[in-house]
Amino acid sequence: MKRLALSLLVCLPAFAADGQPRMASDFEIARMKQQIATSRDFLSQLSGHLNLGDLYLSRSESETARSQYAMALEIAGREARRARKASDIMRYATAVGYSALADARLGKDGAAFDAAEEAIRYTSGSAKSWNLYSSAMTLLGRTAKAASAARNAVTIARGELARSPTVANRLDLATNEYTLASAVDDDRQAELLLREIKVSLRSDDFAALRRDIARRESFEIYSSARGDAAAYLSLLNRAGLRLAGLLEKRGDVDGARHEYESVLASRTDDPTALSALARLSTADEQQRYFAQAFDANPFSMTLIRQYQRHIDENTAIPGEDTAGARMRAALIEMQRGENRLARTTLDSLVAQFPGNDTLRALRRQTEVTAGVPAFLTSNRSGVAPSSAELRQIIGLLQSDGLTPEQRASLDQTTLTSAVTFDSATKNDGQTIFESGSIGGVRFRFGEPTAFTGTFPMQARLTYRILGATESGGADALLLEPVRIAP
Amino acid sequence: MKRLLIIVLFAASARAQVVAMAGRDTVVAHDGRVELFDANLSRVWSAEGVADVSRVVVGQGRVAVIDSFANTVAIIDLANGNGERIATGETPVDAAFAGGDLFILDRDANRLQRAGGGSVTLAPDPAYLRAAGGRLLVYSRLEGVVQEIDPRQMRITRKLAMAPFASDFETDGHTGYLVYPGEAKLRTFSVPSMTATGDVGAGVVPVDLAVASRANVLSASRLALADPSAKRVWIVEGSESVSRAVTRGFLRGLLGLGLFSPQSSQFPTGVDRVMTRGSITLAYDSTSRTLYRVRGSKGTAIATDVAPGGFAIASTGVTVWQKGVLRLIR
Repeated sequence: MKRLALSLLVCLPAFAADGQPRMASDFEIARMKQQIATSRDFLSQLSGHLNLGDLYLSRSESETARSQYAMALEIAGREARRARKASDIMRYATAVGYSALADARLGKDGAAFDAAEEAIRYTSGSAKSWNLYSSAMTLLGRTAKAASAARNAVTIARGELARSPTVANRLDLATNEYTLASAVDDDRQAELLLREIKVSLRSDDFAALRRDIARRESFEIYSSARGDAAAYLSLLNRAGLRLAGLLEKRGDVDGARHEYESVLASRTDDPTALSALARLSTADEQQRYFAQAFDANPFSMTLIRQYQRHIDENTAIPGEDTAGARMRAALIEMQRGENRLARTTLDSLVAQFPGNDTLRALRRQTEVTAGVPAFLTSNRSGVAPSSAELRQIIGLLQSDGLTPEQRASLDQTTLTSAVTFDSATKNDGQTIFESGSIGGVRFRFGEPTAFTGTFPMQARLTYRILGATESGGADALLLEPVRIAP
Repeated sequence: MKRLLIIVLFAASARAQVVAMAGRDTVVAHDGRVELFDANLSRVWSAEGVADVSRVVVGQGRVAVIDSFANTVAIIDLANGNGERIATGETPVDAAFAGGDLFILDRDANRLQRAGGGSVTLAPDPAYLRAAGGRLLVYSRLEGVVQEIDPRQMRITRKLAMAPFASDFETDGHTGYLVYPGEAKLRTFSVPSMTATGDVGAGVVPVDLAVASRANVLSASRLALADPSAKRVWIVEGSESVSRAVTRGFLRGLLGLGLFSPQSSQFPTGVDRVMTRGSITLAYDSTSRTLYRVRGSKGTAIATDVAPGGFAIASTGVTVWQKGVLRLIR
């Protein structure tokens, strides 16, 4: 019953009062902003900004994320100087260790390494310092350094647990084991560590903490968790996701699904788990998981790439008005070559989420790229243009972006492409075609055109481009056929 | 203003600078270059170095410039600036020349490697490498082990269990000294016998140590300990063997470790690095990037905005690399 109460609560933050689904990280962002506004101590301020940075980064708001990391770095630097002035060297070392983490988040590899080494000079016996060191190196992609540091952290934490078997020390050991599992190249070792963590976290040792979590109805997941409850929940979530990822990587689909579902049992709107289940599910389940994953985080590039591979001609534009649904609609429109429609959809999202990198990148893909296709300046005929070049031509024609010389060149150029017609009418030794597509780019003729002979739906068409138009609601080329071949 | 201070602090640490003495000449590693300056501070040569220098070790006719982050060491001939760059094991943190060879301590690989071939596996987290009497000594922090290595055969010959998590290790050839910031202790061991000889409380948070003067017939070695928490450099008498103590008639030698002399130097900020040579002792505060000269009970600031390794003691004064210029402070 308590478990159910926890699960129900987990569902609650996914929906705002206006009935609009909220993104999975909305609640955590609000919580961290509140923490920063109401707490003054170093760790509250620092973890608040680090977490906000990570949360914004997961939503592809990198500029906002960087500003949060910069604030965390400033706070850590201030704390280090204060601690040094107060002759509190261990406090100084901790603050410098956090500086390393913030530097690493900002991509300052030299500064991060220097700060991590400085912290370790004073506290080589501290599992926490080695953990910070390892985390910073993992962020910088220095996995061998990260793994070595994490091994030190685990060894020290095991010693502390052996001397004092408290819940806090068990949690510290599990945290350090997770850091090691994240750093090692050896998937088998990582899997063993993650299983050990899960067994430990599910053991009776944590029964009291689990009851406390249920009573408090806690559910938030943070990368820098404060307090035992937040650490427990975050660790359980991250260890589950990482274990599931490893199982998926080695082809154990059932095992991976089980772990992802286990993550969702604690946090129903986890975007990574939903995205993975969309990938691993049967066709009839995929739409549901994709919809939920996009509602949890519409801006994950991994999810977007996954969805772009999933879209086919039967994928329908979703009817809902959530951010996730609108993102899916934009992706479908882009896939269909309906760039004008996609831009409109994306613009509505940009208005709601300004400064989003993913939206900016997708919006760019729908725009006319700089310059003109090479065939316009080569004065060659019989050119086989790419789909991208044909889309570029549509954009140029729509935006009146061609010079008179380029327009004249286009009028004279004959192009040849493999086409797929929408339908064919055969009559008296003639085949009549009207519209079709070239590599996903829609086209139509000025009127239904009869070709002498019998031709299949898929043929080679030589043509001239007359202009831009619409076909079946999508952006399309208006073509003048020159000849057709099977 | 505070914001500006942070920017300066971290921007300056992005590209490190390290100064080391090579006899009367000065080696400076900075901005991807290694340069040799003569006693008149005239540049003799300039050679390609490493991206981010962590440490410079000078040997007979050669210098090793370590980049711990990039796992690279540049080995350069002091005579002409010619040299080579070699890839090392993970995180080279220290090096030593012995018998014409260069030995590199790859901390995160738990290995000591010899440039040109050969390596030996060490206890986890090997952090300090020292040469003494034709042998190499490595202290590994995680297990607190000192391992003695025969550099010719590249094998561990002896080992000694000390306490873990020391922040510095030095030797005067007869005694090994380990300083422990967490416990505020100095521990010693005999290098010839590889046995622990004692420990003593040392300040509040001692971090760095230097052998200020080596033992002779009349006195034991003297050590300088940087203690940022106490904002002091403590001057400590080092360990003596029983026979040496008896020779000098100092009963305290029987205790294995000398006593704290009352001598210490006070600083306005917490100093965490100390360096000595001849009559000069320097102390350095990494936070304010201030370099002090120890004069009796007082520390006098002699340079500011200096990188953590950006200074060395020359025979005629202190050389400091500041804002792209090598200065000699007499």
